[in-house]
Amino acid sequence: MEDSSVLRKEEEILVAYQTLIANQPDNVAPHQVTALVGHYAKLLKSYSRQLRISDKNEQRLHTISEELEVERKKMEGIADQLSKYLPTQIYESIFSGDQTFEIKTRRKLLTVFFSDIQGFTQISSILQPEVLTHYINRYFSELSAIAAKHGGTIDKYIGDAMMIFFGDPESRGEQEDALACVRMAVEMQARLAQLNAEWESEGLQYPLITRIGINTGWCNVGNFGSTDRMAYTIIGGEVNLAARIESKCEPGGVLMSFDTYALVKDYFEMEERELLSLKGISRPVQTYSVRRMLTEKEQQEQPIDLQIPGQEPIRIKTPELTLPERLNLIEDLKRTVQKLEGISHD
Amino acid sequence: MENINIAATARTPALSLDVASRVFTLEGESYPEDTKKFYEAPIAQVQEFLSQSHEGAVTCQFKLKYFNSSSAKVIMDLFTSMESAAEAGNSVMVEWHHIADDDNMQELGEEFSEELNAANFKLVPF
Repeated sequence: MEDSSVLRKEEEILVAYQTLIANQPDNVAPHQVTALVGHYAKLLKSYSRQLRISDKNEQRLHTISEELEVERKKMEGIADQLSKYLPTQIYESIFSGDQTFEIKTRRKLLTVFFSDIQGFTQISSILQPEVLTHYINRYFSELSAIAAKHGGTIDKYIGDAMMIFFGDPESRGEQEDALACVRMAVEMQARLAQLNAEWESEGLQYPLITRIGINTGWCNVGNFGSTDRMAYTIIGGEVNLAARIESKCEPGGVLMSFDTYALVKDYFEMEERELLSLKGISRPVQTYSVRRMLTEKEQQEQPIDLQIPGQEPIRIKTPELTLPERLNLIEDLKRTVQKLEGISHD
Repeated sequence: MENINIAATARTPALSLDVASRVFTLEGESYPEDTKKFYEAPIAQVQEFLSQSHEGAVTCQFKLKYFNSSSAKVIMDLFTSMESAAEAGNSVMVEWHHIADDDNMQELGEEFSEELNAANFKLVPF
């Protein structure tokens, strides 16, 4: 009833005349009729003015809406261009309003990936710049597509190197993040082997053989830089460790730290490598290289290791168990779980 | 009579009446959730002020960027009161301020000014 509230005066006039006609229909005086006509004329004038004003407002809103649509399309174009310079996940979270533009970081458990091309400095000094640009762009396009497929956040390209992380902005859990990263790395190396063969047949003399290093650990993630110019990235000792491991990887291989290994070992055939003493890292680092991805059957047959702090580990070799033995073991383990859950620590 | 001094919000304009200097101002955007609630009391006071005799000129300033249809009705009633005040012998100056390139707001001012004969009307681009 908002409209009627601003029309109170007009409503009062109407009620007054309705009452007049109802009470003395045969005795309405000429001056009262004249006054009513006057009110009606005024109301009509006011109504037609109101219509014109309303039309003008509507026209104005229509114009503004058209201008906004033009601006929106312009912004969409800019955003589309901008998206090519930002990691897809970061772009999406900024444009959905999840990210703030503050110098703000937080600690997250991430799996970090580094890659670079063996002997790239030498290759770049020999190849013509146009040829180099062509192949390096194809190289990054292929690797980036694989990274996108596995859900990796491409942090940056540094010359011929690539830095990718898993676990931010979205995490599928530490093990899934690590698994996605190692699966991605293995797929990248397989694809690069194919590409290098293709490129050789095209006449590229020097294959782009890549080293990959992976580590899992707590990193600082967020906006770093100045208030005017910032980058959404990760920093910390664990990030440096991934880069150092990469530098020790054999060309064409995938090398990882124990922390990543522990999360993915049931899914890959691995080879333990020597302890590495790495620049800037105080402790010696145990590394593992990937030989191949295990088949689903092989994964099921992998022994299950139960690590118990301060006690001998228990290894369950599943392929060696008969069905009744496996079912009995399941029952035993269920009872063990119930017993462990029932223990009070007060 | 007391002065009125209502600050603007996102949906309602600043509304003021300086009794001593006889200046009424309505400034900002006007699309209140409840037009009656916002305008009823202050406009009744302004209309009462306009119905009195004044020794000096009364100035009514409108500096609006946007108003909805209900607000337009309130403004029209105010223009009627201003015209009545002028017809009663007061010197009434109505100033309609609008952004220089806002043709629409200028035309709306001209539309309202058709109500005025005895009162003076001035468009003030800014």
